[in-house]
Amino acid sequence: MFRKKNTAGVNSDEIRAILDEKKTKMKLSLKACAHCSFCAESCFLFMGHNKDPKYMPSYKFLNSVGVLYKKKGNVDKLELGEMRDLVWERCVLCTRCYCPIGIDIPDMLALGRRICRSQGVYPQYDKE
Amino acid sequence: MALSHIFSWTFMYDFIRGPMVWISFIIFFCGVVFQVRRFMFLLKEQPVKKLEPGPGKFISRQTASHFAMDRGKTRWFKKGWFKKGPDKKDPDKKDWIVWFTVSIAGVKPFMTMVTTIFHVLLIGVPVFVLGHNILLDNAFGISMVSLPENVSDLLTGVVIVCILIFFFRRLFLDRVKIITGYEDYVFLSLAAAPFVTGYLAYHQVFSNYKLLISLHILSGELMLMAIPFTKFIHMIYMIIVRFNVAGEYSFGNARKSW
Repeated sequence: MFRKKNTAGVNSDEIRAILDEKKTKMKLSLKACAHCSFCAESCFLFMGHNKDPKYMPSYKFLNSVGVLYKKKGNVDKLELGEMRDLVWERCVLCTRCYCPIGIDIPDMLALGRRICRSQGVYPQYDKE
Repeated sequence: MALSHIFSWTFMYDFIRGPMVWISFIIFFCGVVFQVRRFMFLLKEQPVKKLEPGPGKFISRQTASHFAMDRGKTRWFKKGWFKKGPDKKDPDKKDWIVWFTVSIAGVKPFMTMVTTIFHVLLIGVPVFVLGHNILLDNAFGISMVSLPENVSDLLTGVVIVCILIFFFRRLFLDRVKIITGYEDYVFLSLAAAPFVTGYLAYHQVFSNYKLLISLHILSGELMLMAIPFTKFIHMIYMIIVRFNVAGEYSFGNARKSW
């Protein structure tokens, strides 16, 4: 809570510009999400990881794009690093996730990936 | 009009029972229309292509899971199923059982039952309760069929129990707790408030009936106004998505996608 933000290397204006491109859809999705967790069983990564709640599509969506929206893009590298794990390690964008309310979760996670990549935060498989 | 009069109890009581009802319904209807239009604007019709073996033909991503197993044939429970061709078989009991088992009702039967009962009664009880119908009759001369008072009393209790189950889920189930924020508790309380206050007012649990009934009316109005602008909009979106967005669980000729 009291960690000092180190926003060096993070361009918040660029993040906001990318978020603005899908502003309507993102705001609608974040507002309509009922936090019901009914999307969970549709994700095979959730089912394959012993139903770990951190693999739920809604969790991934709310803790990546949701955080970026709430903080208006004012995030630091550490937060982007956490988002990187969410949107790359815990999702393969197979688009199987089903939301009963109609939220396009894969598109939102792809947006999260785009934002992370724009700030130079992405998995470097050859180095990791 | 003096401020002391505006903030007087009589004025507030008359305002909540009168103009505020109209304001809340207008905001509800206009808000829902606005949100539905915004949602439909974001959806676009996608071309449906058949899945064919071999090179050169693709199936659109959105309809792949919708049609993949059927290879382009019409599902027996979808529109046009009754047109039997030489390769169509009659649906039998096993198809229904499999369909049910893999649906959310088969995977989570208890929660499906609770949410279904809750949502049916959430709309059904306010529409068919005697008190509301008497008010409608006095105001417009029309009313719906009314439930006996002991039945609506029991059903209100059922709704409150369902809401308690949802609260329990939010507090104790990891998969729900991890995505729960303060707004979830606020909206659940907002959904519960009309039923709790209505129950207390009807049974005259507290001596100040006027206060309780005002809270009942106010909480109902707040809930109505909140529907288009909060997650309550899922009451409309759920239906639109099922009939429009192509996917594994869509109905009819759902072909749209984002």
